[in-house]
Amino acid sequence: MAQELLFNIFNGLIIGAFYVLMALGLSLILNLSGVINFAHGTFLALGGYVAYTVEPYIGFWAALLVAPVVIALFGLVLERFMIRRLYGRDPLYSLLLTFGLAYIFQDFMRSVWGSNGLPFTVPEFLSKPLSYEFFFLTGYRVFMMAVVIIAVGGLFLFLRYTRMGVRIRAGTLDLDTVSVLGVNVRGLRAFNFALGIFLAGLSGVLAGGQLSLQPNMGDGLMMPSFVAIIVGGVGSLPGTLLGGLLIGLATGVVTMFWPAASEAVIYVIMAVVLLMRPRGLMGEEGMMT
Amino acid sequence: MSGHVSARQTAASRKANTQWLRLAAIWLVLLTAPFWIVHLGGYTALGTRVLVLGLAAMAFNLLLGFTGVMSFGHAAFFGLGAYGAGFALKFFTNSTPLAVIAGTLLGGVIGALLGALVVRRRGVYFAMVTIAFGQVFYFIAIRWNSVTGGDDGLRGFSRQPLHLGPWVVDIQRDAGLYYYFVLACFAIAAVLMGIILRSPFGHTLIAIRENERRARFLGIPIELHIWLAFVLSCVFVAMAGALYACLNDFADPTNFNYNMSGTIVIMAVLGGFRSFWGPLLGAAIYVVLQDYLSSMTQNWMWAVGLIFVLVVLFFPRGLLGVFDRAGKSAEEA
Amino acid sequence: MNGTNKPMLEIRNVSKHFGSLVAVNGVSVSVASGELRAVIGPNGAGKTTFFNMISGFFPPTAGDIVFDGEVITALTVTQRVNRGMARTFQITEIFPELTVRENVRIGVEVAGGMRLHMWVSRAETARVNAEIDRILELTRLGSKSERLVGELSHGDQRAAEIAMALALKPRLLLLDEPTAGMGEQETYQVAGLIRRLHRDHGYTVVLIEHDMRVVFNLADQITVLDQGTLLAQGTPAEIAANAAVQAAYLGDSE
Repeated sequence: MAQELLFNIFNGLIIGAFYVLMALGLSLILNLSGVINFAHGTFLALGGYVAYTVEPYIGFWAALLVAPVVIALFGLVLERFMIRRLYGRDPLYSLLLTFGLAYIFQDFMRSVWGSNGLPFTVPEFLSKPLSYEFFFLTGYRVFMMAVVIIAVGGLFLFLRYTRMGVRIRAGTLDLDTVSVLGVNVRGLRAFNFALGIFLAGLSGVLAGGQLSLQPNMGDGLMMPSFVAIIVGGVGSLPGTLLGGLLIGLATGVVTMFWPAASEAVIYVIMAVVLLMRPRGLMGEEGMMT
Repeated sequence: MSGHVSARQTAASRKANTQWLRLAAIWLVLLTAPFWIVHLGGYTALGTRVLVLGLAAMAFNLLLGFTGVMSFGHAAFFGLGAYGAGFALKFFTNSTPLAVIAGTLLGGVIGALLGALVVRRRGVYFAMVTIAFGQVFYFIAIRWNSVTGGDDGLRGFSRQPLHLGPWVVDIQRDAGLYYYFVLACFAIAAVLMGIILRSPFGHTLIAIRENERRARFLGIPIELHIWLAFVLSCVFVAMAGALYACLNDFADPTNFNYNMSGTIVIMAVLGGFRSFWGPLLGAAIYVVLQDYLSSMTQNWMWAVGLIFVLVVLFFPRGLLGVFDRAGKSAEEA
Repeated sequence: MNGTNKPMLEIRNVSKHFGSLVAVNGVSVSVASGELRAVIGPNGAGKTTFFNMISGFFPPTAGDIVFDGEVITALTVTQRVNRGMARTFQITEIFPELTVRENVRIGVEVAGGMRLHMWVSRAETARVNAEIDRILELTRLGSKSERLVGELSHGDQRAAEIAMALALKPRLLLLDEPTAGMGEQETYQVAGLIRRLHRDHGYTVVLIEHDMRVVFNLADQITVLDQGTLLAQGTPAEIAANAAVQAAYLGDSE
């Protein structure tokens, strides 16, 4: 019983880790630029596919780093030529734009790589379980957790201690003041966007090792990411982190008792939060209204 | 002074005349559609689909175009209307109009409840929460197999012929007759929406869109009015969903998800969301394009995506927006 | 007017703290019915914060606001508007993409209790139009009624904003820097309108102003704020002679 509980908790943490990684990227972009990036899930998938494509040449470890960077650069191009034009306008437009881009990207992936799942090979040693008793602790899953922890930790350290990171945080609160202080707001937004996309691409590479690559593999993570942001509080990155972990854990635990409801639990949590504390667990009054 | 007043009256009556003319033209086109649509390579059900989705888009536009509030989860209520009508026909009644009313009510009531949860927030937050609503219903529709038919959707019902006294109007078998039934419903909805938008209440919605702070300082309780607009919007979207289910004799769970919401939004934006009839035009273009493309290839979503991108980047006011001057649109109904 | 001593507006020892920043500190003001009161003071004196509390934008940290004998401190903006308080803003808040007529109409309809009506009778429409005409005449905007407010001159926009406030049948007009950013001609136009409303039509007006010519020309009484506190209060003559007021302004213009 304890083992089963641990299994589910661990599962929940893994799920939560993915939610967190995706939701943080979404949140970054949302907070600074007010853009709801509907194409985030497709960036995840693209990340996976790019890793798959380059892996035969540079190996798994390099692919892990290179693919997200490539996707981030692609995101940078998109930001420069499409998204940037929409900043002054109603958030509706950027939502519609990313929505449309998601469709385009998915069909593109479908035509290049096909709809059938592609296998993404991970180094042999990662696939073995670390212990027989905790068989579910495969090396790969632990590895994923480690990567997520490093990435998220790195992100928060970056935001707290580097100049660019501080500017991003300041910009989230008051972009006008930041720009008046002489910061290149355009560059800041571009970088921030690319950072968010980098996280999506990284999720894709990690997910690729776990599931097979498919054009729509990111779809299943989009809604939970939104919910994580709502639960944690729109505008708060720590809140997003908390929200993602919370709903991930909840999913894992509920699966143990009532498997059919496991997908519903994130919406139940969202409903409870909306009713009891609409601004989210760590959200501030007045953010994003 | 009197010369000035009569000049204004002449200009106003001229404007009224062009409006009547335009209205007459629109209704003429709609009334005769089953006849000319075949000659253009289409089929009657396609026209019916345009009407239904056009209604959905126009209903959505009550919120977006006229109140300035962006909800991205309207598919939830479209789906509720569809399933409501489906259930009614499957288990409770043989009357198609009653089924449509049932679906409409279901969507409207749930819209009223959910709307109350979210009206205190606006902008991005509101959009995100409404997206989540749609997904919740999608999820319920797919999982609650026994009741909703799960992935396959709700089947086993079909629209029934109308029994109007001694006459039997076979909307079941005759696509043309169902088209006119839908047109009648559409007409009722459109007339109601038009009346509401030109009423003092409608003016308050436009005020909220134009300058929320000023509207508040004029004594308009913003949240209440947005909630009312939301409910009205849900009612008409649900009606569209109900008519859609009766068109296909099938309630599709994908009617709930955010793809459908996105479709409704893009139809409104494509046609011109600052105008009353714009969404109908957008629906017409979208439906025809989708029909054409999907008959040619399996991978046509990219074209839809391309429409989204092009509209946003180059035609933000939609097709009708190209012709309309800013202030004029407020009175177009 | 009513000849009694009951003031139209009473601010009782009101303060506003933003965290550790004290924007308004223990200010008490009493405005009689039919009076035109000007609130002046150097920049940062807390005038707009003061106004925001009166109109209900945010509540005071301490103190009470009494409107025509009723304590309204806890009421919302909408509730205060419904009780007859109308306000204009430093940066004109109007509906720029609607016509002047449409702008005023909304106020008339709300004041007429029609804001939830989804249907209007012909008689009601006629009444509304007559009322709009009356207000447009009052504010001398009749000839511009079909123009988009956003396209009007600054002075006309302000007149339109005041027209919207008048549509609400207010008992108190709160005007926040009505001549802000205007040249000679437009200042004259707006000040003239305010004077007409006050002298000829008996409106009670409280206005924030920086233009001293306007203040001394229009005001019955002047309240001077400085750094959140009440510095002086009195007739224009008294204030002009007040050394502390002069010091506050001279010090500010350094």
